Amino acid sequence: MSQISLSGIHKSFGSTEVLKGVSLDIEAGEFVTLVGPSGCGKSTLLRILAGLDSADTGDVRIQAQSVTQTRAADRNLAMVFQSYALYPHLSVAENMMTPLKMRELGWAGRLPIVGPLVARRACRDIHARVEAVAETLKITPLLARKPGQLSGGQRQRVALGRAMVRDPVAFLMDEPLSNLDAALRVHMRAELSELHRRLNATFVYVTHDQAEALTMSDRMAVMMQGEILQVGPPDEIYHNPASLAVARFIGSPAINVLPGEKLADGRVVLLGQRLFNVQSGQPRALFIGLRPEHLHLAAEGRFEGMISHRENLGSDLFLHLTLKEMDNPVVIRAHPDQARNVARGHNVRFDLDPAKVLFFEADGQRVTLDGARQLEVAQ
Amino acid sequence: MTEAVADTKALALRFSTKTALTHAVLILGALIVLLPFYTMLSLSLKAPAEIMQQTGGFIGTQAPFRDDYCIKLGKEVADCMVNPIAYNYSTAFEKAPLLRYLLNGVVVTVSIFFIQVVVALPCAYALAKLRFWGREFVFTLVLFCLLIPVHAIALPLYIMLAKVGLTNTYAALIIPWTISVFGIFLMRQFFMTVPDDLIDAARMDGMSEYAIIWRVMLPTAIPALMAFGIFSVVAHWNDYFWPRIVITGNRDLFTPPLGLREFKGDADGDNFGPMMATACIIVTPLIVCFLLAQRRFIEGITLSGMK
Amino acid sequence: MIKSHAHIWFIGPALVLMTVILLIPILIAMGLSVTDYSLGNMGAEFVGFENYEKIFTRSAYEKMFGATFRYVFVVVPLTVGLGLGSALLIHSLGRFGDIYKTIYFLPVMAALIAMAIVWEFAFHPTIGVINSTLERGCGTWLELWTWYAKGCERSFPLWLQDRDYAIWTVSFIGVWQGFGFNMVLYLAGLTSIPRSLYDAAEMDGAKRGWDRFRLVTWPLLGPTTVFVVTISFIRSFQVFDMVEAFYPQGGGPSKSVFVMMFAIYEKGIQQNLMGIGAAITVVFLAFVMVLTLIQRWLVERRTHYA
Repeated sequence: MSQISLSGIHKSFGSTEVLKGVSLDIEAGEFVTLVGPSGCGKSTLLRILAGLDSADTGDVRIQAQSVTQTRAADRNLAMVFQSYALYPHLSVAENMMTPLKMRELGWAGRLPIVGPLVARRACRDIHARVEAVAETLKITPLLARKPGQLSGGQRQRVALGRAMVRDPVAFLMDEPLSNLDAALRVHMRAELSELHRRLNATFVYVTHDQAEALTMSDRMAVMMQGEILQVGPPDEIYHNPASLAVARFIGSPAINVLPGEKLADGRVVLLGQRLFNVQSGQPRALFIGLRPEHLHLAAEGRFEGMISHRENLGSDLFLHLTLKEMDNPVVIRAHPDQARNVARGHNVRFDLDPAKVLFFEADGQRVTLDGARQLEVAQ
Repeated sequence: MTEAVADTKALALRFSTKTALTHAVLILGALIVLLPFYTMLSLSLKAPAEIMQQTGGFIGTQAPFRDDYCIKLGKEVADCMVNPIAYNYSTAFEKAPLLRYLLNGVVVTVSIFFIQVVVALPCAYALAKLRFWGREFVFTLVLFCLLIPVHAIALPLYIMLAKVGLTNTYAALIIPWTISVFGIFLMRQFFMTVPDDLIDAARMDGMSEYAIIWRVMLPTAIPALMAFGIFSVVAHWNDYFWPRIVITGNRDLFTPPLGLREFKGDADGDNFGPMMATACIIVTPLIVCFLLAQRRFIEGITLSGMK
Repeated sequence: MIKSHAHIWFIGPALVLMTVILLIPILIAMGLSVTDYSLGNMGAEFVGFENYEKIFTRSAYEKMFGATFRYVFVVVPLTVGLGLGSALLIHSLGRFGDIYKTIYFLPVMAALIAMAIVWEFAFHPTIGVINSTLERGCGTWLELWTWYAKGCERSFPLWLQDRDYAIWTVSFIGVWQGFGFNMVLYLAGLTSIPRSLYDAAEMDGAKRGWDRFRLVTWPLLGPTTVFVVTISFIRSFQVFDMVEAFYPQGGGPSKSVFVMMFAIYEKGIQQNLMGIGAAITVVFLAFVMVLTLIQRWLVERRTHYA
């Protein structure tokens, strides 16, 4: 039985359909990422799961219970917001105590000053738990401060802490890293993964950054225009995308897409060069997807292009090649050593790794060509 | 499933009763708020007898009635039959130079606003964007002066104006309001948000500091100025206290509120119809402007809410 | 940087006007408050703190403080409370609330003097709409209310002309006129509260509206409330138009509506007792400044909220 199950979620705002019947099952302890370009409905889906928005149709189940009619407060989920949504007038400790106070104390216990006297034991218990969480997140020295006095990274931790003090069914995170600077973001990725391992809890994570999705998730769901295009482990999504849209969205620099065709005699042709043979059959046009790392410079390569731009990342060097046959440049990854003596404007030859070639139909659907892998590799 | 449906229904019902209750409370409030406006308009349309006997509903029967004043002038009764609306509004304009009052109101409010801007804008610019010795002091002074309600120091101001013989002049109506510390403060806060680059670019283009104020800063400040303008005009059009103090007797200088007050103070004070007509005429310009440009007005009035 | 003297011309006029119109009058008021100066008389005698002594001992001024504080302490809580209440209700309605916003703001726009005259008519004991409406309720269950029954038996109050009712009636008009302004300030405050905080509150288990109000709305409206309360105080201290319109002589039945601004006007302008008028002015300024300083202090204390 899966921990969380969304089925057939539809949602429209006015005349725009934001979610077009989305279904997703999430197992206990999983780190699932919803990734997609902005406006694809991923945040709406998360909010529907949280109970902050309601779906037009469809069912949300948590631990086999339908919670579609249950309000957010009763779903026992914790959420980390993009803006962190810390209460600005409360100290860090008070912020972290809020979910516990709201759930565990009666109205008398929540009173200022009098409260701790009325519900002394409960209050002490809450304090202890907050301190324990603060310890884990290394924010103990910040407990007395107000959110306004914290840096972005610190606020992020407090928001995490506020989610962690409880023992929720799942942690929902809505682009929690998007307000941090680049270096901190990379650092927090590792830390969130570590946290997930330690808590052994279910994480549902929304992001538009495919790098975050690839680095952290157990499984990722790629969403576009209100639909989940593909769900699977990051590796699977990267190497085996179900459609051109997924292939294009995942990976940086983006995948190269070149026009190719399969001829009646079974030859698959790219830019006039035969890649390999497959079973003969109907001739058809194809899109051929090649990731930059699956292209390489080769003195006797079959393809030729002029270097229009060099992108040096230190460890890698990406060359943008303008081909005679194409409008868009082809991006190819080269080893810095290898490419030291190529400059902008040079013509270079390159070749590809035929085993890694991805084929897509004209409508963007992924296709496997029968026998493509088995047949001899033409040189 | 049925349970869930029932739940939704209960939820929807609760939602709608809550909304209905909210509307009920707000409508009750609206009735109380509108009551005097209704009364004012209604009375300005009715004949005196209808007002006294509280008959005729909102607009009255509009049956012509006998104007006693006209009879006193010795005219024929038939000539003295008047329609209530026409009577109330024409009396409002005939009894007192109401048009003159309205014109005075316009002259005073416009002059006040104009001078306020001319004084405040350069000062605000200097405080926001120029560095000079004593700037902090001047700004502290501005902050201090924000504490002073001008109405509160009316007495010494009146004495000063009386000493230089300016009471009963337009100047007396305008001078105390020429400096709007609030305007300076507001514009300064606004200019702080204008990027320095814009001013440096203007300097590079060879503009003088004066040109920068009037050709660069003024246009960027239009929204803030509009809001401030509305604030200023509303305050001074409706002001009663200050004109009451410095204008004594000279009817030619009366502002609309003074004109209305005089009407009430007259022996005719019980002639409610024309008095309410006058009230309507005085209140209408701002109300109409407000209804036409609500958002701007509310922005302008709430400007004083900025810290 | 080239030295420029442009700033002198920019701040000069403002500085001069500020000094002449705002600062010097305060000094004059302070100076005159210790004399028996009156306009037209050549000399003025130094009388020490006699004027202040009068203000704080004579019964007329006791009535002045009484009336002012009664007015202020009715009008401020009610305008703030009703302003907040109506803002919350209107905010909860979304777009449909705009019509109420417009209506409630009308009194703020209308010249108070005009509306005061209308209210005076409405409160007129015989031909006013208030008492005639009340009379219509006679003989119904409303008579269970002893006050109401008494009104039916004899007559309903004279309101503005009744010593026991006058100040409260004037206060009512003050509330009527002022709460729309506070409502608009509160609405601005409400729209600036980030929605995500309410979402966070919901996730944290704040289920009842009251919990959300305590956890998010009220604290985040804190700065607005500080401002609204201060401005309401200052505005209600300055009440004058109505009082002068209703009671051109003497400040109401038994001086029960003898508010400070009217006192300044009556003493200084009508009776030409500038010394005592100036003393009231100084006391008045002291009140207003203390209030504003308290506000500044509260705001300052909260700035680290960010």
